[in-house]
Amino acid sequence: MTRRALWWAGLATLSVGCAGAVPDAPDYRDVPRWTSRALPAARGEFRILPDGKRAAVRYPGWSTRDFDRYRTYAYGDERPEPAVQRVTMPTGITGDPQKGRALFLSRSKGPCIGCHLVPGDDVWPAGSAGPDQSRLGDRKLPDQYLYQVVWDARAYFPKTIMPPWGAAGILKAEEVVHIVAYLQTLKGPVAPETDRERNPFTRSKPAGFGDNLDPTNNPAVVLADDGEGIWTAHGPAGRACADCHENGAARAMRGVAPRYPKLVKTYGRVMSLEDFLEMHAPETTGRAMAAQSADNLAMTMFVKRASNGLPVNIDVTSPQARAALARGRATFYRKVGERNHSCADCHTPGGAAGKFLGGRLLADVTTGLTRHFPTWRTDRAEVWDMRKRFQWCMTPLGMNMLAADSIEYAELELYLTAFDNGKPLSVPGIRH
Amino acid sequence: MSDIGKVRLRVPSSIKPGDVVQVRSLVIHPMERIERDAQGKIVAKTYNYINKVTVTYLGKTIAVFDTTQSVSENPFFSFTFRATDPGPLKVEFFDTTGGRYEGTVDIKFS
Amino acid sequence: MKDRSLMPRRQALRALGVLGVGAAAGALAAGQPAHAQAPTLGQNESVQDAMKRLFGGRTIKDGSAVIKLDIPLIAENGSVVPVAVNVESPMTATNYVKHIYIVADKNRIPVVTRVTLSPEAGRAAVGANIRLGETGEVRAIVEQSDGTLLQVARDVKVTVGGCGG
Repeated sequence: MTRRALWWAGLATLSVGCAGAVPDAPDYRDVPRWTSRALPAARGEFRILPDGKRAAVRYPGWSTRDFDRYRTYAYGDERPEPAVQRVTMPTGITGDPQKGRALFLSRSKGPCIGCHLVPGDDVWPAGSAGPDQSRLGDRKLPDQYLYQVVWDARAYFPKTIMPPWGAAGILKAEEVVHIVAYLQTLKGPVAPETDRERNPFTRSKPAGFGDNLDPTNNPAVVLADDGEGIWTAHGPAGRACADCHENGAARAMRGVAPRYPKLVKTYGRVMSLEDFLEMHAPETTGRAMAAQSADNLAMTMFVKRASNGLPVNIDVTSPQARAALARGRATFYRKVGERNHSCADCHTPGGAAGKFLGGRLLADVTTGLTRHFPTWRTDRAEVWDMRKRFQWCMTPLGMNMLAADSIEYAELELYLTAFDNGKPLSVPGIRH
Repeated sequence: MSDIGKVRLRVPSSIKPGDVVQVRSLVIHPMERIERDAQGKIVAKTYNYINKVTVTYLGKTIAVFDTTQSVSENPFFSFTFRATDPGPLKVEFFDTTGGRYEGTVDIKFS
Repeated sequence: MKDRSLMPRRQALRALGVLGVGAAAGALAAGQPAHAQAPTLGQNESVQDAMKRLFGGRTIKDGSAVIKLDIPLIAENGSVVPVAVNVESPMTATNYVKHIYIVADKNRIPVVTRVTLSPEAGRAAVGANIRLGETGEVRAIVEQSDGTLLQVARDVKVTVGGCGG
């Protein structure tokens, strides 16, 4: 991947998310190349099979689909957003509302109910990221209009967060015809709601998983204790962290984590603690600490918790920080993947933040979402750092993931962490 | 370095004689779930999961959890005991492969 | 492994139902090693079969007057669902909660846990994190020291995401 000037043509298309200062334009000229040192499964790589096909090398259990057709966050990926497709609803196919309803609920498609509420006790869990469609049929909109909106809503709403289902090839023409037929049947009166949890507009907010710092509640706290053993162990080079960082980690490391991510001059790039440890540990102690390894995660939690309670305090004012922030911000607002989503689509108040996507309440980045990372993931029984969380978005977005220690992710993390400035660290977290 | 078998216990910081005290316990353990083959048949093998938890206070067993694979990975259990005397409260976890893990809290009054 | 049952072994086995059938069916499902003493509590079965196996035809009364079952309305996932059961009981030698069962109707292994208490527990208040296979009822069944059986149940919705999970 070559590095060269990428002047974003449509700076006006960056939505104005913050009042006040005009954001710096992103400049990619000085961004160095970075060779990933993450675990093989964490590099976003592909291997070539004997028949010439590409096979994704990913974490166990993760999708191995190759989303090569679609834009990624890579700084060298200059492909434009997919062109808006203006289409005509085909004649000669009779729309079947029952088939349409099945498609509307199908998790192998949208599911459309991920964003849109419709009637039915079997509709679980519908989201509120998009409008309630329970009475769409009463609006008597033309079939052609509905067809176009489902196929590629950008034809009518250029700033929409709705994926271009037809243009992306997720829905076929016949399927959209059935969905239109179904939508036209959605007429009032709508039966009164018997279950307030079914309806995402009245649903309770998730209760969370309790005290993240209680070792009898959060297994990650127990795993973080492993950092102590690593801290004092002599690596292959004969040295331990404790040899240089004296008086115990709790004292030596207090105040360190709140400054990350930051530009690390030695490596000429923005780094999170995970990125830094990956280089620093082998260079000083000889001990490997690849990104996404158990040791890297344990050490990151161990070092970060020495600063629990201290306010996040990353540099956002130096010229280098501002440049990185501009790039991170551009990434945050970049439309990517099969679904043509940006992070902002789901995670800003102007998008769907605070609303439900299926059963998940979408978090608002402006409230600060980074200070509990790495976090325990109860559904996975794993510790996830921010990079794995970014990589996971590959699945809902339909986009190939980048390497865990990539500069793109680091600068995106920098942008997100700026919203946590002034707020206290509390590591590790515990989440779904 | 496996974390399996690491136990954490918590009791309130101040316990008075006669208090009924809640104990929170957690053990790192995979609690392996049933695997099924492509035809949906259960794969016959020994599944490694905790099937018994015993709580002993002053040498006497006061609570037992018989547990199944429907308990979460890294299981959490809470229970109570009446703190009559200072002394050890021990929680032992047994799994189906013969594993035995324990944690002890020395109950003191304050 | 020392036997730590609170009641005579024969009684314990009787309470679990027919030992022979239970153990044979359980061995393949749960892979219990041959040296294990007690028959497997967790079996791959319907909740109806589980209830029959555990309680036979015994009457189970409504326990809502004394049992408090704390469980979320919506579980964010089926991997970790916190459950707490509190039973009003004097917990004296002649009147105490002997067993608390947690049963998840829709689980492939519906019996989640059986807690056996002694009066020294001071209170009948237990908690556990459980797995739920899907949306469905979760029951707390209490057996008193005099043999009375009581039950409460709550419906728990297990939720999923809109796209990725």
